[in-house]
Amino acid sequence: MLSYKISKFTKRKIGIMVLKIEHLTGGYTGVPVINDINIEIKPGEALGIIGLNGAGKSTTIKHILGLLRPQKGKISLNGIELTKQPTEFKRQIAYIPEIPVLYPELTLKEHLDLTILSYQLDEDKAWQRANKLLTIFRLEDKLEWLPIHFSKGMKQKVMIVTAFLADTPLLVIDEPFTGLDPLAVANLIELIKAAISDGKMILMSTHILADAEQAISNYAVLNNGVIDVVGNLTEIRQHYGLNDSDSFDKIYQILNQEQRHA
Amino acid sequence: MRELAQKRLRKNLQQSLKYLVLVFNDFFILALIFLFGALMFWYAQSMKKMPTGLWFYRPLVGVIIWLPLISGKLVTLLEPADLHFLLPQDKQMRDYLKPMLNYSLIVPTIILVLIAGILFPFATLKAEISPVAYVVLAVVVLLAKVLQLKLEEYNLYSSHKLSLPLLSLLLLLGLICSATWTICSYIAVILILGAFFMLAQKQKNVALFDWQYAVNQEQGRKNRVYSAFSMFTDVKEKKISIKRRKYLDFLLPKSLAKEKPNRFLYRRSLLRNPEYLNLLVRMTAFAILISWLVQNWLWAFGLSCLVIFLTVYQLLPLVSEFDDNVMYRIYPIEREKRGQDLVAVLKLALGLQWLIISLFWLIILPINLQLAEAIIGLLIFSIIILWLYLPIKIKKRKI
Repeated sequence: MLSYKISKFTKRKIGIMVLKIEHLTGGYTGVPVINDINIEIKPGEALGIIGLNGAGKSTTIKHILGLLRPQKGKISLNGIELTKQPTEFKRQIAYIPEIPVLYPELTLKEHLDLTILSYQLDEDKAWQRANKLLTIFRLEDKLEWLPIHFSKGMKQKVMIVTAFLADTPLLVIDEPFTGLDPLAVANLIELIKAAISDGKMILMSTHILADAEQAISNYAVLNNGVIDVVGNLTEIRQHYGLNDSDSFDKIYQILNQEQRHA
Repeated sequence: MRELAQKRLRKNLQQSLKYLVLVFNDFFILALIFLFGALMFWYAQSMKKMPTGLWFYRPLVGVIIWLPLISGKLVTLLEPADLHFLLPQDKQMRDYLKPMLNYSLIVPTIILVLIAGILFPFATLKAEISPVAYVVLAVVVLLAKVLQLKLEEYNLYSSHKLSLPLLSLLLLLGLICSATWTICSYIAVILILGAFFMLAQKQKNVALFDWQYAVNQEQGRKNRVYSAFSMFTDVKEKKISIKRRKYLDFLLPKSLAKEKPNRFLYRRSLLRNPEYLNLLVRMTAFAILISWLVQNWLWAFGLSCLVIFLTVYQLLPLVSEFDDNVMYRIYPIEREKRGQDLVAVLKLALGLQWLIISLFWLIILPINLQLAEAIIGLLIFSIIILWLYLPIKIKKRKI
């Protein structure tokens, strides 16, 4: 029901488009949290990152967003390196944070305007898309409000709308389902599916697999800062030696034991 | 509960003293001494020239001695968390509020003694009120303050809040009468004591403490105090609440075509963040006030230049205002040319400031060629500050 046209920009570059994370080691000053991470996402691919709290999911995302400096390794998107051309790199990424971050000074409309300005979008086309997204998330009558006074779920919707409005080749999503009502969760899943079929790249961290697996089939399991395994959920079950009757959540118990013995 | 009240009062006193020391720094004390000296000199001079016993002197004494009643609301030091943790303590709140009531009297009493002292020569010599009647009048004011606080305390319980502005108005009328006819002072004392008795009777019937109202009142009071302090120093406890101010939207560009992300953000922060808008309004008003006081184009020009410089200096932090916002860092917003963007936004703000100061100069200063020169000079100074000083300062901030 939601179809997204691939922008000219995306079409032209689709051939060489790829997110490459090579031998990434990083974390906070001096203390490496993640070790030798390698991820590659091609257009039309989506990768979920799963793992326990503190496994390094958010740290990996912060590196991709340029909020942390890598100690080793390289991150590039479409041949553009983050450290060399930060603005060009960032123009290709939209981000939905776990905890909504808004400007207290700006109205909802102005948040969208700022996105249009920053990502240098075509104003008319962007507003057409924006209106569709606002209607989906039932925000169309709140354009003049200050979203800082919204409830948590509504703030999260604002983050989703601005991220999808940016219409970037790569979408980074950090645990998006908490706080959203079931209707919004379903809408978000539809949007993610549409984006994938439009040739976008998606990287999403989550604990809620029941929702995530409706849109994303490939997952990387992050454990103690290293990637244990990449594959679909069946392959991951096999990797950890789960029986067919076991719940998928048993993986987290195994990861916990591995962490304790590490 | 009484211990909790004492503990909070001690903490509050420490905090107030900390800010008072910052407010009354050496420079401000010096300025105050000069101002006070000038005021006293003018007072002494006019006392000599003033005719005695004009009809409006006594009502005027009543109005001035009423002024201390505006200051000092009931200090309850209740915190939002009390809504949760003290909720079942309705009964103990009277114990908690007793020391608070006494504490709330300190500041108004000091102000009353100060104003009554300064007013004493005028009241006794020119308005010809006998010293005894004057002392009784001061006692009436003090009792009135206690009544105000008692009423505020009563409102913390009752669901039918009694109007404080109405009481203030009644007290003003009462004090004007009392200053004019001494007999009214004695009647006022009896009436106030009667009111105490009635409030005490009414209070017997109410037991449920209005927690939400009390916490809101205290938050409002605290924010007013912090706002007063923040005129002189940074107050970290003060909560900045963004105001939408839709009526100022006409100052924003209509179209996005020529807009840049940083400018977009700076404009809105300047108009809606009270820190910056208040600063702009305060500094402009200050320039006009001192220009009016000096009544001389050269002094007005020099001091206004200083005010414009201080305005720009204090608006500097705006440049890195959004650095703590994660989304600002993630969005593809170029940060190298932020200085130029800030200059572009402040152009309008300083232009308005110049225009308003110049217009007021034309009203309050004698119009001549020099004034025209001063107006042009002020414009040139603003341009220099904006295009030369500001970019250098921003480069030094290493952003």
